[in-house]
Amino acid sequence: MRTRAAWIVVAFIALGTTGCDWVPSSQVPAATPTSYSVRAARRSYDGAPPVIPHAPLKIKCVACHTDTGKETPPLGFAPANPHTQTAGLSSASHCQQCHVFRQQDEVSANGLAASDFQGLSQQFAKAERLYLGAPPVIPHRVFMREDCISCHAGPVARTEIRCSHPQRTNCRQCHVPGAEPVAPPELAAAAL
Amino acid sequence: MERRDFLLTTATAASALGCSREVATTPEGETALIRGEVGWTKAPCRFCGTGCGVEVGVAEGKVVAVRGDELSPVNKGLLCVKGYHLPALLYGRDRLKQPLLRNADGQGFLPISWDKALDLIASKFKDVLQQHGPQAVAMYGSGQWTVYDGYAALKWVKAGMRSNNLEANARLCMSSAVMGFMTQFQSDEPMGCYDDFESGDDFVLWGNNMAEMHPILFSRILETKRKKPSVRIIDIATRYTPTSQFADVYIEIKPNTALALANGILHVLVRDKLLDEAFLSENVVFKRGIEDLDKIGYGCFDEQAREYTFKDEPRDSSLEELQEFLKDYTPDKVSTITGIPSAQIEALGKLYGDRNRGTVSLWCMGVNQHTRGTWMNNLITDLHLATGKISRPGNNPLSLTGQPSACGTVREVGTLANRLPADMVVTNPEHRAKAEKIWGLEAGTIPEKPGYHSVDMFRALSRGDVKALWIQVTNPWVTMPNLHRFERKPGDGRFIVVSDIYPTPTTAVADLILPSAAWVEREGIFGNTERRTQHWQKVVDPPGEAKEDAWQIIQVAKRMGYGQLFPWEGDWHQPMYEEYRQFTLGAGKDLATYQELKASRGLRWPVVNGKETRYRYAVGHDPYAKKASGVHFYKAKAYGEKAALWLRPYQPPAESPDDEYPFWLCTGRVLEHWHSGSMTRRIKQLHQAVPEAYVELNRADADALGIADGEAVKLVSRRGELRLKAKIDGRGRPPRGSVFVPFFDEGKLVNRLTLDAMDNISYEPDYKKCAVQVQKG
Repeated sequence: MRTRAAWIVVAFIALGTTGCDWVPSSQVPAATPTSYSVRAARRSYDGAPPVIPHAPLKIKCVACHTDTGKETPPLGFAPANPHTQTAGLSSASHCQQCHVFRQQDEVSANGLAASDFQGLSQQFAKAERLYLGAPPVIPHRVFMREDCISCHAGPVARTEIRCSHPQRTNCRQCHVPGAEPVAPPELAAAAL
Repeated sequence: MERRDFLLTTATAASALGCSREVATTPEGETALIRGEVGWTKAPCRFCGTGCGVEVGVAEGKVVAVRGDELSPVNKGLLCVKGYHLPALLYGRDRLKQPLLRNADGQGFLPISWDKALDLIASKFKDVLQQHGPQAVAMYGSGQWTVYDGYAALKWVKAGMRSNNLEANARLCMSSAVMGFMTQFQSDEPMGCYDDFESGDDFVLWGNNMAEMHPILFSRILETKRKKPSVRIIDIATRYTPTSQFADVYIEIKPNTALALANGILHVLVRDKLLDEAFLSENVVFKRGIEDLDKIGYGCFDEQAREYTFKDEPRDSSLEELQEFLKDYTPDKVSTITGIPSAQIEALGKLYGDRNRGTVSLWCMGVNQHTRGTWMNNLITDLHLATGKISRPGNNPLSLTGQPSACGTVREVGTLANRLPADMVVTNPEHRAKAEKIWGLEAGTIPEKPGYHSVDMFRALSRGDVKALWIQVTNPWVTMPNLHRFERKPGDGRFIVVSDIYPTPTTAVADLILPSAAWVEREGIFGNTERRTQHWQKVVDPPGEAKEDAWQIIQVAKRMGYGQLFPWEGDWHQPMYEEYRQFTLGAGKDLATYQELKASRGLRWPVVNGKETRYRYAVGHDPYAKKASGVHFYKAKAYGEKAALWLRPYQPPAESPDDEYPFWLCTGRVLEHWHSGSMTRRIKQLHQAVPEAYVELNRADADALGIADGEAVKLVSRRGELRLKAKIDGRGRPPRGSVFVPFFDEGKLVNRLTLDAMDNISYEPDYKKCAVQVQKG
């Protein structure tokens, strides 16, 4: 895995000894790079690709959305592209296959897009550990998020999932995928 | 303990506790669900013909999320933006929830009960049958019908009402591909499969904007190219698209002239002795049909505009005749017709003739929606037959499809005016006898004469020759070409039933509207482009009184006295599928068992002894291929179990730009919207991304006309006019002298401009070419 000295230093100084676990809300700093409501407003449901919050630009998406993300004045910080190691996707992929621009803010007067859809809201997964002090297993799917520190480190990393030790770049040496096997063909009865 | 048992136990325990969800609080104080109470199951995507697998997340009786299914061999976990937004398609606020009957004064609708609605349909169709005969009733469905819906429709129309007036909108999108495969292999659907995307070297796209229309398949090609840099993407197109951005070579071609290009490539193959002569002599016969333009016409002018029933007459040809025929198609001459430099035509000849590289040809609407679409399908496949590059990994002609079950339902079940299941046709007495035997009917039940093909069906409705029509899962008052011909005022003596999930311009002209269940609100089976049959189970209830389409048909059939066609008690899905499956067994189209489908992420037919087939006709892959090696075109009995290479000439389009109407108009889709937009325009993220239709203009044309990006433009054809905003240097860039308009927007009906010219063999309309004026304002 690549070394990203810059973010590692920033993250390390900023976070001190904060762990990778769920952090109770009382202990989380108020300022996070993207608020939960903004994050939710950009997605149909938790897990859906976010819409693009800025106007179309003349450059390629990956020019700013690099594997570490990039400060891009005056727009702000372009979050890292978490899919650089996804099989089937690459920096040469067609980003707008999944991420679309918002050409108009309101739904049209004819009300076509008026919807009663309520998507799955933001999910918080509590990581399991074998014993106190053991490395937590990865509580989410790894597919499309293979590059751990694109989300778990860097200036826009969500505070509660920031990693205390991004300098140890081989994350999966200690953290193994532990949750969310692929769905069986039959629906889990819980939903019915 | 099995995983499923575990889940069941957990669920039971949770509900026993009366608390099935845990709630957490975000740092901002919002509540959110904790992972764990969402149930997940598999289903194919509801939108295009790719057939991506999704995992459907369900909580509290609603679909709340999807994930790309990592176990699906089709998409391997990836999805496009439409796929990701599938859940919202079910929850548009104006979902149809109860049957609605038009008021006696013709204005507006009032709710009625299912009982009354079904009785009304049964009595209207029975009356029309008694008074006007089976030619006056019709059903028009779609490539979005599940196998169940299509099979129920087939039995109701062909065996119940004894009419062949059964069509589907797939006639408008891939019937040219059907007739291409039928005329060459006497069996429909491709020999290759998606595995070609990893094993091919050269991908030749014939008028195919894959990056927008089949994004996941295009991702597979891009991934192969990343791993194997020698891979080339050749984009032959009439307009620069997002696909062109990723192509190694963009070849701009004049509309309609791909016929000449394919013949030019064949000319180079013959001239440079790049033919695989051993393959040709062992596996190929030569055929030629009627080429007299005066006899063929275009199906839209003069008396052909009433009914278009041209029939091709095949005759034997030969390699020598082909060589003579191709003398007309020198690269220089083809260059003049197509606008493509001779050097590129030569290069394409070398590409197809290079035996060290795998060649995959891909096409969709650009080739199929063509007044000589069947000829174009023939010619592309000819390139593969001439070079022996067929039925081998990485070497195939692969026609892509646009609807989730255009293949599985319309093509395989055979919901077309001339067809029966598994490649059978109503004109063949043995085929009718086989269907009558499986259905337990007396001989002679199924009529021999084909019914109206789609365009003629709607023309007959306009004339009044069709008096009762039932439309399901499709929106013809947006999608038929030259819409002016089909304008309708209720009270005209016709009775039109429309089953759908949302109000559309088609429900607006209906006499009776029925609310349908969609996607995972019912059990279903779809068949995708690569012959993969996929099953899903019902996981949520449909809203209100909405019911699945097959159920609606069965209820009407029973009320009309055709109950013996649907004898099953209780849940009829599995027994209906098992009856249908009998048609496929032993026909080289063998479908998997119901249990195999439920347990798998789909299987590609023929499925024999539980094993799917990746490459049809290939010895070692296809269990029906009986030769010692190579390929065996076993379905083509009339050609001595060989494939037919067709000689097909270039002919001009039905309408070309002239002084009065100087621009080409091409219509099509955009990535974010699917078909007529009735689903995707009700999904906020997709609607906001592309809120309305627009017209793409070339910058030089726009400058000459004084039109700036975003300004109003009026398009005028001989049939109608339409106002749209100009899009200049957007994602698609048409060359000078041509414009492009997407058809998803029911508020801007581009089909009021299009011409209803048709292919001479498939009767598929050409939506890609007509002449328009472009005016400012």
